[in-house]
Amino acid sequence: MGGLLLVTRLVGRDLRFRPAQAVLLLLAITAATTVLSLALALHGVTQRPYQQTRAATRGPDVVALFGGPVAGPQGPGPAVPTVQAEAGALTGAPGVSGHGGPYPVASAVLQLGTIAVQVQAEGRDQGAAAVDQPKVTAGSWVRPDGIVLERTFADALGARVGDRVGLNGRRFTVAGIAVTAASAPYPSLCYQPGGTCVASLPTSCDPTRCTAVGSGEPLTTLQMGQAWLTRPDARALASRAAPLAYVLDLRLRNPAWAPAFAAAHDNAQLGGPGSGNLVPWQSIAYDDGLLVQDEQQVLTPGAWLAGLLAIASVAVLGGGRMADHSRRVGLLKAVGGTPRLVAVVLMAENLAIALFAAAIGLVAGWLTAPLITSPGAGLVGPPGAPSVTPATAAEVAGVALVVALTATLVPAIRGARTSTVSALNDAARPPRRRRVLIAVSRRLPVPLLLGVRLIARRPRRALLGAASVAVTTTGIVAVLTFHATADDRLRGVTRIGNPVVTRDEQMLLVITVALLALAVLNAITTAWATVVDAAGSSALARALGATKRQITGAIAAAQLLPAVPGAILGVPLGLGLFVAASGAGSRGTTIPSVGWLVPAVLATLVAVTALTVIPAWAGARRPVTDVLAREA
Amino acid sequence: MTAGTQSMVRARGLRKEYGSQATLVRAVDGVDLDVAPGETLAVMGPSGCGKSTLLHLLGGLDRASAGELWLAGRRIDTMSERGMAALRRDAVGFVFQAFHLMDELTAAENVELPVLLAGRSPRVARRRAGELLERVGLADRARHLPSQLSGGQRQRVAIARALANRPMVVLADEPTGNLDSEATLDVLRLFESLHEAGQTLVIVTHDSRIAATADRLISMRDGAFIDETRLTGGTSGRLGALLDLDG
Amino acid sequence: MQQEVVLALLAKEPSHGYQLRARLRQALGPLGDAMNDGQIYVTLTRLEKAGQVSSERAAGMPDRPDRKMYALTAHGQQRVASWLAEVSWPKPDLAEFHLKLLAAAAARLADPVAIIDAQRRELLRRLRDAQRAAMAEPDGSEAALLLEGVVLRLQADLRWLEACERSWSGRKART
Repeated sequence: MGGLLLVTRLVGRDLRFRPAQAVLLLLAITAATTVLSLALALHGVTQRPYQQTRAATRGPDVVALFGGPVAGPQGPGPAVPTVQAEAGALTGAPGVSGHGGPYPVASAVLQLGTIAVQVQAEGRDQGAAAVDQPKVTAGSWVRPDGIVLERTFADALGARVGDRVGLNGRRFTVAGIAVTAASAPYPSLCYQPGGTCVASLPTSCDPTRCTAVGSGEPLTTLQMGQAWLTRPDARALASRAAPLAYVLDLRLRNPAWAPAFAAAHDNAQLGGPGSGNLVPWQSIAYDDGLLVQDEQQVLTPGAWLAGLLAIASVAVLGGGRMADHSRRVGLLKAVGGTPRLVAVVLMAENLAIALFAAAIGLVAGWLTAPLITSPGAGLVGPPGAPSVTPATAAEVAGVALVVALTATLVPAIRGARTSTVSALNDAARPPRRRRVLIAVSRRLPVPLLLGVRLIARRPRRALLGAASVAVTTTGIVAVLTFHATADDRLRGVTRIGNPVVTRDEQMLLVITVALLALAVLNAITTAWATVVDAAGSSALARALGATKRQITGAIAAAQLLPAVPGAILGVPLGLGLFVAASGAGSRGTTIPSVGWLVPAVLATLVAVTALTVIPAWAGARRPVTDVLAREA
Repeated sequence: MTAGTQSMVRARGLRKEYGSQATLVRAVDGVDLDVAPGETLAVMGPSGCGKSTLLHLLGGLDRASAGELWLAGRRIDTMSERGMAALRRDAVGFVFQAFHLMDELTAAENVELPVLLAGRSPRVARRRAGELLERVGLADRARHLPSQLSGGQRQRVAIARALANRPMVVLADEPTGNLDSEATLDVLRLFESLHEAGQTLVIVTHDSRIAATADRLISMRDGAFIDETRLTGGTSGRLGALLDLDG
Repeated sequence: MQQEVVLALLAKEPSHGYQLRARLRQALGPLGDAMNDGQIYVTLTRLEKAGQVSSERAAGMPDRPDRKMYALTAHGQQRVASWLAEVSWPKPDLAEFHLKLLAAAAARLADPVAIIDAQRRELLRRLRDAQRAAMAEPDGSEAALLLEGVVLRLQADLRWLEACERSWSGRKART
């Protein structure tokens, strides 16, 4: 017990003596844990809101689609008697306990202000259906000349209840906004495997006015939104070029049978854009979660990057602190502590900071998660935060501890192994001699001469610096690549917002901000550590006649020279990371232009230099004699 | 001070203070000093009397709070930081008690560093380092690291380094403080040879053996000079008197 | 017992024998334990014979040396003055120098710090000569060894003189 008290007291004292370094360490691990807890928070979110929507709207277990999108003038679509026969067969099939529909579905061009969009309008009764009654969240349900829009779609359009819209030229008013579990929210309506779009595409749409492009590209279906009309209104929208399609909702006795049922009764000839015409609710749920999954795809590599940067920061900080630590280690031992006690104190300190950082990261992640995990407006679900489970907390804490451990284990053990006498004599590991670097540096101008020798003294730190710059640039390049790819994909097509891309961009912003913060932290800690380590030799150099400017230049060079290869390396790594994370393959990726890449790399290098020059300049102001006396 | 001979080092009313008001410490309190060219001056005094601070002021390692300071006729106390750096490089050579050699450089690399800092070519620098190491008797140790040298050898390397840019004044702060008596003798001999070659030396020391090599000895206490002794011209010259065999 | 020391002890004022002895004892501290009590009276008698000290029998006191009253003669005072100014340092006799300082201070005949400084100067010069001579000797010569001993002793004496100076300057500052 006394041992624990002693350790606690020693740790507390040390933290009080060097608060700045402790704070930096804290910030580094916190950034990483925040990103991590965000990533974890998203994990559990995927399925839940859909379940709620299903319950609220009495969602169907299987959706049957009749008629599909017809590109170009083709047949008139399924004949009504065929549909009714099929529908009758399905509703009477074993296992079916209820149904709704079949409902007519028309495709039309919806015009709101200057925006024209493809829409799939389902004709419904004004009364409530037993299966699949979309839940109105604003306004009211369908009425003559009134259109109800799916919520995400309405958000993307910017439409509100009471707005006037045109549907194939006819005037309608937005009567209400609703959510449904029978189809995936915009923009996933036609996305396989849960896509429930059946409407045919208009061929007479003027390309300059329509946002839909009739080329058959998957892009076009992204722009389709779900809406509901009265049955007569829907039927009135049908035309020869865009005939009616039909949709039937089924309820099964056991919802878990849905995929088997769909497989058993599928009829490809009648189907929607994909192979089957029966869509089980599980597929719809999957599509639903796509938004969140996309975010996960972005978050996970981001979290990895953040973790790597955090480890780099901590390693540098850990190494820097060890210089002072060795002296204290020696003193600890001289006062009677065992090597075990010494190692325990050193580790305890860093682990305490790590745990604290984990806690902060959890809280920060929990607070920011709602911004990301509100699963698109298309589902009924609490926009509140997913709860922090003990499992989540344990995982985050575990990661934080591992980060702290990884970076400080080696120096701590080394610190514990040093003999008291040598620890008191030498402030830190004596610098290794690098003959080649020293010989090369002789020919360089003074700042580079001193800078190269500084690198030669601590090559490990130079490597770490290069690595952290590489990680930073990787993140930035990955972000740039995403932007370039997204822009390319949606060029000329988006005039209304695409929540997936918007969400992705928001996520990437979060990641970028976190990465930048970590990168800044890293640069500061590496610079600080370099300055502290170089204090003795720079003071000596000043005593021998080097100017403050030369010394500052030397320290900046010591940071910059390893940073350049790191930054350059980050470019291919960033591209690779994006390709790996997006799963799009190299063909689907657009490489950001040189006009973006070069400034990004240069800006990183400039930032690193600037962040080094400041502490270097401050350090060069201290009187030479003070520093020399301390080194003696 | 003899009129007509310009002093190599001249100080008037030199003062150095730390802290403020209640905690004001006057490390150097109104010092007047003249050091003639080629003279060896020793400054002695108890710990904390300010002799090291005085040396730092003379060498441009620190800036005086008040007073005037000239080095070879150039006014120093009003110099810019840049100017002082150039001063430290070219006009002054410093020898420290703790040697302060760079651990990862060989003796030759340590000695040539000031020459490189002055912007000379590596070849010139290496040649000069060789000459100086020869001068201090360590030519065969040119490629040794400081950790492979004894204390006395390290200090001699440090002295060679101080001479690298042909300084006008060599300032030594307790040069034998960390040395045993054998090594002290080596350093002593070196100082004597420098003196003979006409080098101006100002040495701060505890060690009366070092002080005895000086031309002039100044005692310092509480930041001020309290005594000055001219040591050239010894006793009656009879070494027998030292042993007092007739006594 | 050095004659000069006894003379100097009388410089301030005439004293009885036993007072002189007490003062000596006090000045020498534990080192004075080895002092032979009778020595001082032998010295006093010799000084009296040499005319540097005069003695009186105090009224009502027995005719014993320790009860006699001693005083310096003019000759004795002269001898004290020249002794105070001397820097010969015949043999490292710390007690003598120590007593010299005390007497000088007590009798206000001279500033002890000045005495110490003068002595230091002399010793420094001697050190310089001895050092020079030692360095001029070839390695391993016997004389070199002897000279090294001289140097080391001088060094030690100088350190003591520095300590004396610190102490006496402090004393002066307090008074």
